[in-house]
Amino acid sequence: MKRYECLQAIAPLMRDQLFVTTAGGATSEWNAVRPSDGNLQVKTLGLCSSIGLGMAIAMPHRKVFVFDGDGALWMNMGSLATIGLHQPKNLIHICWDNQQYESSGGEPTVSTAEKIDFAGVAKAAGIQSSRCVSTVEDLKEAVGHALGHDGPHFIWATIEAGRTNVPPLKYDELENKYRFMRHIEETEGVSILQVPVPHSYELKTDRH
Amino acid sequence: MGTLENSRQILEGLKEAGINLVASVPDLNLKELIELLYKEKQITHVPVGREEEGIGVCTGAYLAGKRPALLMQNAGLMNSCNAITTTAHQFGIPILLLVYYAGDMGDDAFHMLGLLTEPVLSGLRVKYAVLRDPAKVRREIAAAVTSAHASKRPVALVLTRAVL
Repeated sequence: MKRYECLQAIAPLMRDQLFVTTAGGATSEWNAVRPSDGNLQVKTLGLCSSIGLGMAIAMPHRKVFVFDGDGALWMNMGSLATIGLHQPKNLIHICWDNQQYESSGGEPTVSTAEKIDFAGVAKAAGIQSSRCVSTVEDLKEAVGHALGHDGPHFIWATIEAGRTNVPPLKYDELENKYRFMRHIEETEGVSILQVPVPHSYELKTDRH
Repeated sequence: MGTLENSRQILEGLKEAGINLVASVPDLNLKELIELLYKEKQITHVPVGREEEGIGVCTGAYLAGKRPALLMQNAGLMNSCNAITTTAHQFGIPILLLVYYAGDMGDDAFHMLGLLTEPVLSGLRVKYAVLRDPAKVRREIAAAVTSAHASKRPVALVLTRAVL
C-alpha cells in the first residue's frame, strides 16, 4: 500500500485530533490530505515521538497522533520505552515504514534487512495495543480501534516507498508553532501565549 | 549528594515561576531534587531515558500550554545539542534547562565536561547563569523563566554542588 492512499483512507475518521509528523512525505502528504493548524511538522529526525508524548501528557483529554518513519524511529527507539513507561492513553503512534531514508536519498534503514519487528519492540516496551498492518483495510480498522479505545497505541504500517507529488508545507517552524498554539487556544478555550509588556508600557491607573 | 533543604528551595523556585512540567534524567547530585519531584503534585514529572527526548517532551508540553523544564547533568546537555538547535531554537520554545555542573572547579571527575559546558552553552546561543549561592536560587529561577518566556528561547541554569 502507498502512504498517500493510507492517509486518504484514515482522514475521514478524524475530528479534532492533533498531529505531530516527521518531516518529508509524511508531513507534505498529510497536510495535502488534511490541512489543519493542528498539524505540527518536526524536522529533528526521531523527535516527533517525544514531542507527541509531551503533548499527550500535557493534554490528556485530547488524542495526539504521531506520524513517524522507520529511519526516525530507529534514531529514537528509546522513546518507545518512555511511552511504555508513561502509558499516555491518548497517544496514537503510527510508524510509516517504507524501508528507507526517503528524505535523505533512499539509503537503507534498520528496516531494510527485514529483521526488525517494530510492533514487537513496542509491545515488549509496554505498549500493549501494538500491531502491524500492511493493507489499507487493516490500517483503517486499527486506527478506528485506536480512536475508540484507551492507549497508548502503536501501529506499524508497512508501505511502498515513494512520495506523491504534493507541495511541501508552506510555512516555517515559527509560523507552524504560532498557528498550532492559536489552534489549541481556540479549540480549548484557553490562553497560552502571553506577549510580555515592558513596565514602561503599563497603564498607570493610580496617576491622576 | 545534595541537601534536602537546598533541593526544596529549587522546587519552591520552580513552582513560584509557574513551572508545571519537569522532564528529568538523574545524576547522583540531583537525587534529592528528583525524589521531591516524584512526590510533588503541582508539577508533572516525566522521567525520560535520554535528554534529547526531554527536549521533545518539553516542546510538546509547551505547545499544549505547559511551562516546562528539563533537569539533567551536563553530559545530558551534550546529548541534547541537536534537539536544542533544530527543535527548541528553530520553533522558539522556552524551556528552562537545569544543568548539573559536573567537572566544576574542584570536582575530581568529568573535568572535560566541566571544561566544555559553558563554551557549549555559549556556542548554542543559550543564555545561562551559573548558580553558586543557595540564598539567590529562587530569584535566579524566576529571572531565568522570565527571560525564557520573553525571548521564547531555552535558558539554562547551571547548578553547582553549592546550591544542591
